[in-house]
Amino acid sequence: MKTQMAVSRLLAVVTTLLLSWSTAPAQAMDPTLAEILRIQDESARGSSSVGTMTMRIKTAQWERTLTLKTWSQGTNKTLVRIEAPAKEKGTATLKVDGDIWNYLPKVDRTIKVPGSMMSASWMGSHFSNDDLVRESRFTDHFTCQFLQKADPAAGRHHHVVECTPRPTAPVVWGKVQLRVRAEDKLADQVTYYDEKGALVRTMTFSGFDVVGGRKMARRMQLTVADRPNELTEIHYDEITFDVKHPEQTFTLQALKR
Amino acid sequence: MGTFRLAWRNIWRHKRRTGITLAALSLALVFTVLYGSMMEGYMVNMEQGALDFDIGGAQVFAPGYQDKPSIHTRMADAADIVQRLEQQGIPAAARLLASGLVASGEASAGAQLRGIDLARDTRVLSINTQLKEGRWLDGADPRGVVLGVKLARVLGVKLGDELVVLSQATDGSIANELFTVRGVLLSVGEATDRSGVFLTDQAFRELMSFDGGAHQVVVKRPVEMPLPVLAQRVMAAAPARDVQTWRQLNPILATMMDSVRGMMAFIFFIVNIATAIVILNAMLMAVFERIKEFGILKALGAGATDVLKLIYAESLLQVVLAVGVALVVGTPALWYLSVYGVDMGALAGVSAMGLAMVSNWHAVVSVPGILTPFLIMLVVVSVAVLYPALKAALIQPVKAIHHT
Repeated sequence: MKTQMAVSRLLAVVTTLLLSWSTAPAQAMDPTLAEILRIQDESARGSSSVGTMTMRIKTAQWERTLTLKTWSQGTNKTLVRIEAPAKEKGTATLKVDGDIWNYLPKVDRTIKVPGSMMSASWMGSHFSNDDLVRESRFTDHFTCQFLQKADPAAGRHHHVVECTPRPTAPVVWGKVQLRVRAEDKLADQVTYYDEKGALVRTMTFSGFDVVGGRKMARRMQLTVADRPNELTEIHYDEITFDVKHPEQTFTLQALKR
Repeated sequence: MGTFRLAWRNIWRHKRRTGITLAALSLALVFTVLYGSMMEGYMVNMEQGALDFDIGGAQVFAPGYQDKPSIHTRMADAADIVQRLEQQGIPAAARLLASGLVASGEASAGAQLRGIDLARDTRVLSINTQLKEGRWLDGADPRGVVLGVKLARVLGVKLGDELVVLSQATDGSIANELFTVRGVLLSVGEATDRSGVFLTDQAFRELMSFDGGAHQVVVKRPVEMPLPVLAQRVMAAAPARDVQTWRQLNPILATMMDSVRGMMAFIFFIVNIATAIVILNAMLMAVFERIKEFGILKALGAGATDVLKLIYAESLLQVVLAVGVALVVGTPALWYLSVYGVDMGALAGVSAMGLAMVSNWHAVVSVPGILTPFLIMLVVVSVAVLYPALKAALIQPVKAIHHT
């Protein structure tokens, strides 16, 4: 009789615990954390833009700098065209939803990147084709928590947020860590780890500035853990947001121009 | 000589029994020789299919290339390695490797580009003979490429179709060029079938802005040179490089060959046990029937060794006769299988476990392949007959004469 009562009490406790856990995230999401995640998602998503950027790629064997012109609409449509060096001028990549096409002016052909090549390098950089295509949002696909809260009085000017992907999220990382500036809640460093917890790549943002009416990092640097001394750096030379793109901007015809 | 004459007469006292024994022995011999030669042929085919067309006896890479292939992980002195091997009579050829993207029309696929040293490569590998259609590479046609069979199918290309090749050159720039499909290979091995794009080394160098060196040296094993010896020679010729024999490059094939050998040995063992039982039974019968006779022989002064010799002479004669019958019956069959083989019909060209089946399965005749079963039978019979022979030799004349 006694044990039975103990069991039922235990069950009640467990049930309450389970219930409180399952509802916890919605209730307990720190307002600061929620805002940080919203800002990250929005800055990644943008609305529509036209811009020019310089991409510098440094590997163990070579170093090169490309000037790129970019057009984007939301996250699902992007067109990037090489302006310089002259040898590759006109080479372009079109991304529409999950597909990528490359236009090669030298041979005047357009190639669709097959699924098996999605993990290959994009334009020789440390970004992969997948990086262009894959879309994940911190608010939808990750469970995040503070590792450290900023406290300017104590000299801590950064929040550190750790995000682990939800089981169904289209994410290859084991976890992602954000270092967020307290002043404007923009991340200045994002580190990506694999499923075993080993560091895979680091993105560093700098040159925070008001560009095209919004505050953003002008410079973005990507380093890959297993290739020390290599990096890809992107600098936004100019960018205009909220552009109305003509219908045919993101088509195979426009890719060739 | 008297022993053999006596033995000869003895074995024909029971014509039917001796006939059955002879039939069993010669059948076992014919079977083991034919089976052994066919399996040898199977293995030679397998080895040839995988090694002569696709892998070679051994390969040399720059250290680390195998784990993390990169166009920059090259052997600057590949030409010297090739030369050092050639000086020892070991055919070798350098190959240039890169991964890339190939496309034709709407279709595209990942590919492994292989720049071929036209003059040397055919001395090492005979992939140039394995064409399903079209022709092998030619220096006079630098824009012509040869594709693996599955890759050609995925891309939906025919001879003469245009192929866009996209990769990243050694200077980081975008390497892209239009080529023409010049040939499509037969199935030679999974990796080549699925992603192999062969082009001349000159075309490769231009496409990829690749200067000196090479990524791979393929080496042919001279027929008489055992694999470990080859491995040693190659390592000596390519110090501090990653040298891999075909057994390391294709462990599945190596395991398969080992297991085929193991299975062969097991079947030979079973057949020989059965043979041993047949002859043991026959000789035991022959001894039991003649216990009185042996008793009289011994009473007349014959020693134990004389009787032992007699029984062994009888067994030996039967083995020799069986060998004779086996040769008469087996030789034409062996000749037929080695010359005409077995038509593999629908199985031809089917690639199983990364290996292509040949169209015709031939027996391979070798001196050890024939001699070994004969010698094994001799040993097996000698052991089996020991018991009846000793029984006869150790008979006590008085007891034997009263034996009923």
